[in-house]
Amino acid sequence: MATAIHKILHPHSSHSKGERDSSVQDDHEASHDRQDSDMEQRAREDEKRGLMQWEDRKAPLSPGQIDADPDRKMVGHSSSVLRQEDFELVKTLGTGTFARVWLVRLSEPQNNDDRDKVFALKILRKVDVIRLKQVEHVRNERNVLAAVAGHPFITTMVASFQDHDSLYMLLDYCPGGEVFSYLRRARRFNEPTSQFYAAEIVLILEFLHEREGVAYRDLKPENILIDAEGHLKLVDFGFAKKVENRETYTLCGTPEYLAPEVIRNTGHGTAVDWWAFGILVYEFLVGQPPFWDQNPMKIYEQIVEGRVRFPSAMSPEARDLISGLCTVDTSKRLGNIKGGAAAVKEHPWFRNIDWEALYHRKVKGPIIPHLRGPADTRNFDEYEPESANREPYTREMSEKWDECFKDF
Amino acid sequence: MSLPPDYSNEISALNREILKAQPVDTLQFCANFFLRRLESQRAEFLLSQQHQHSSPRGRGMAESTFPGSNPFSTSPGLATGGMHRLEEEEESDSIGSPTASSFPPSAMDKAQSSTPGEGTFGNFAGFSAPAKGKSTAPPAIGAADAQSFPSNYNLNRRTSVSAESLNPASSANDNWTPPYHPKSPEQQSRLKAAVASNFLFTHLDDEQSAQVLGALQEKPIPTKDIKVIQQGDVGDYFYIVENGSFDIYVNKSGKLEPGPEGLGSKVGSVGPGGSFGELALMYNAPRAATVVSTERSTLWALDRVTFRRILMDSAFQRRRMYEGFLEEVPLLASLTPYERSKIADALETKKYPAGTKIINEGDVGESFYILEAGAAEVYKRGVDKPVNRYKKGDYFGELALLNDAPRAASVVSTTEVKVATLGKDGFQRLLGPVEGIMRRNDPSKMAAHEDGDAVDPLAKST
Repeated sequence: MATAIHKILHPHSSHSKGERDSSVQDDHEASHDRQDSDMEQRAREDEKRGLMQWEDRKAPLSPGQIDADPDRKMVGHSSSVLRQEDFELVKTLGTGTFARVWLVRLSEPQNNDDRDKVFALKILRKVDVIRLKQVEHVRNERNVLAAVAGHPFITTMVASFQDHDSLYMLLDYCPGGEVFSYLRRARRFNEPTSQFYAAEIVLILEFLHEREGVAYRDLKPENILIDAEGHLKLVDFGFAKKVENRETYTLCGTPEYLAPEVIRNTGHGTAVDWWAFGILVYEFLVGQPPFWDQNPMKIYEQIVEGRVRFPSAMSPEARDLISGLCTVDTSKRLGNIKGGAAAVKEHPWFRNIDWEALYHRKVKGPIIPHLRGPADTRNFDEYEPESANREPYTREMSEKWDECFKDF
Repeated sequence: MSLPPDYSNEISALNREILKAQPVDTLQFCANFFLRRLESQRAEFLLSQQHQHSSPRGRGMAESTFPGSNPFSTSPGLATGGMHRLEEEEESDSIGSPTASSFPPSAMDKAQSSTPGEGTFGNFAGFSAPAKGKSTAPPAIGAADAQSFPSNYNLNRRTSVSAESLNPASSANDNWTPPYHPKSPEQQSRLKAAVASNFLFTHLDDEQSAQVLGALQEKPIPTKDIKVIQQGDVGDYFYIVENGSFDIYVNKSGKLEPGPEGLGSKVGSVGPGGSFGELALMYNAPRAATVVSTERSTLWALDRVTFRRILMDSAFQRRRMYEGFLEEVPLLASLTPYERSKIADALETKKYPAGTKIINEGDVGESFYILEAGAAEVYKRGVDKPVNRYKKGDYFGELALLNDAPRAASVVSTTEVKVATLGKDGFQRLLGPVEGIMRRNDPSKMAAHEDGDAVDPLAKST
C-alpha cells in the first residue's frame, strides 16, 4: 500500500534533484503565460489524488516508516507541481509575524468526497521571512517537519511547495483548536486531563530528542492542537532545530517558557524542552506558568533563580515531577539525566499511563471536540484579514535568496 | 432527502470506533459510545457556560485577566467541570509577591531613586500594548496578602521571541574579538556598580565581565530633549547613565506618537549609575518607553549582538576545551561525543589560591578534577619531593568516579589554579556507573590510551 501511494505522490521520484530544481525555476519564470504541459498537468492531478488518499486514511506511520527518506515517504516531500491555485482559501486559522495559516480545500474537487477534505495551508512570504531574519528558522521548520511527518502526535506536513514570492506548507487540519483555548476556558485542567496531555507530549519529546536529535524550543499550550479524535498534535516548528550532540546559542522561545541556559546564553540543547515541559504541566494544573511578571526582565530573573512555588493543593507527585523538570542545573534536570525520556515516563505522576496504548492512540482523550464536520472551524478564533499592501519580492532578492529556499 | 450532516458525522465516528474495537456486544458498545459523546459535549458546554458567566464580555478567552482575579482563590462556583480546585499555599515564605513588582508604580519608584544600580528598568512590559493598561487594575484578593500569586496574569496568546542567529562555528573561524573601549579605573568601578544588581551581569565570570565592560561604548548626549530610545521602536542597545539625567515617558497607545502629547505621561527619571533598555540585550522587542535627556549627558551603550556573542564565545570555548581534556582521560575513553559533551556541560569551575591542598592522600575520593589553569604538585607521604607536577589539561582523582578507594596522593596548587570538577554522583546521574561505561571498552583501545602515571582501571577493578 505504502509503495502504491508513494508512486502516486512522486511521479518524478526517478528524476535527479537537479532536474527537479530547474523545473521549479521554469515554473517561476513563466507561470502566468504558459500552459502546463500535459505531463505536468497529469503529475499535478496525481499529486492531488495522493493528498486526498492521505487525508482519507490519516493513519500514523510507525517510527521506522517516519525515518524513511522524506522523498520516499507518503508525506513530507517537496512538490514541484502543486500551486496555491490548487487550493481554495476558506478561512484564516492563525497568524504570526510572517506567516498565515489557512483552512483550505481543493479548488477543483473531483467528487463530493473530496469537497469535504480539508487541510491547513501555512503561507510564508519570502520578503517577510528575509526581513525578520527567519530564513534559517524557516528552513529548519520545513526540514524537521519533513523528517517527522507521520508521527501520531505531530502535525503532518503532507507536502511543501513554493512560488515566486511565497513558501507553502500543506499540513493536516486539526479541527479541535488549541489546547490553549480549552485551558483558558477551563482555567486549569484536573490531574487526569493534565496527565493525559502531558503523557502525549512526553512521547513527542522522546521521539524528537532521541530519534531525531531535534530540539523543539517553543513548547506552550498555544502550539498544541487537539485533533478530531481528541489527541494532541504539536504544531509550529519555526524554532525546531536538529541539534544532535552539539549545543546551540540562538535565543528563541516564549518568555514564560524560556529555560535558564537560553537566557544566560551558555549554550542549550534538547534539555530546554524538558524545562518548558515542566512549565507546561504547571500551567495545566495551575492555570498560569510559575514565573511571571509584567516586566519580562523580571520573569527572566525569576527563571534564572529557578524557585518554583506550588499551590498547596498540588499533589506531591506533580510537585516532584515539575521540580525535577524545572531544575536550573541541566546536569540534574529530569529528562536530560540518565534514562532521558524513559526516566520521565517512569515518574510516579505517570503511573496510570499505558505508554504503548497511548502511542497507538488507543487511549481515549478527555476532550473530544464536538464538530459539525471535518471542516468545522468553531474552535478557532477570528483573525483580521490580511493587509493589502505588500512589499514585493524583487528579482534582485530572488537572485540573492532563492538558493536558501531550494528545499521547499 | 439526505440525512442531517450532524447525524452522518456521529454515525461515521461510530463506524470508525466499531471497526477499531470490534466489540462483541454491539448494542452496548453503541450505547456507551453515545453516552460518552454526550458526556464530552456536555462537559465542553459547561466549560464554555461557566466561562461566559464569569467573564463580562463573553468572549473571555481573549480577556487579559482571570475573571475571579486570583486563580488560587477558592470561590466555590468555579470548581466544577474539568477543573480542579487548588488552595492557596499555607506556609508563609519570604519570597516577595511577583504582583508587587507590577509595572508602573514600582518602576517609577525605582527609576526615581538615584542609587547606582537601582535605577534600572527593562523595556517595561514587552508584551503587546493593550497588556499594559491592566496593571492599574487592583488585585481582587487583598493586596495585603503578600504571598498571593500574580492575580493579573496576562491570559492572551503569548508571542514567541527570537534573537539574531548566533553561530559559534563561524565565530571560531573569523577570530572575532569584542570591541574594546578603554575606560579609567573610576569609570570601570562605576560601571561595575551600575550593573551589579542586574542578573544578566551577575553570572558573568571575571573574563566575561571584563569583556562586557570593555565593550561599553561612550555616547555623548549633547543637549536636552534628545530621545535616546523611542517607545515602539526596535531595541538594540542597553544604556548606563554616566552623567546627566533622563525622563521616562510611556504612551498608552504602545508607541511614541507625533504631536506635543505624543510622549505620553512621565513615569520616572533616571540619573548617574542608572540604566535602561536591558531587554534589548535579550532580543529585539519593541521599546516599552521613551527616554529623553533633560540636560547634556553621557551614556554608555552596549548592543545585543556584542553582548550575546561574548557570552556565546566564552561558553563555546570552555565547552570545547573541557571536551578536549576529557578525551585525554583513559578512564572515559569510551564515551560517545554526545556523552562527553554532557559531562563537559556538567563540569563545575572552581578557583583555589596557591598552596591549597585540593585532594588529600588517604581521604575518600568523591570528585574528579581537570586542571584548567595554573600548576600543581603531587606529594606522597614519606617522599620529600613532589612525585609529579600538573599543568593545564592534566587531570587527577579520576578513580574516585570508579570506587571509594582512598586518594593515593595529595595534590597542592603551586599557583592560583582553576579546576573543572565533577563528583561521582554527578557523573552517575548523567551516565550511570563508570563501570558500565568501561565495560563497553575495547581493551586494545584502552592500552593505546594508557600513559605513564595512569593505572589501567579495568585491571584494578577486577
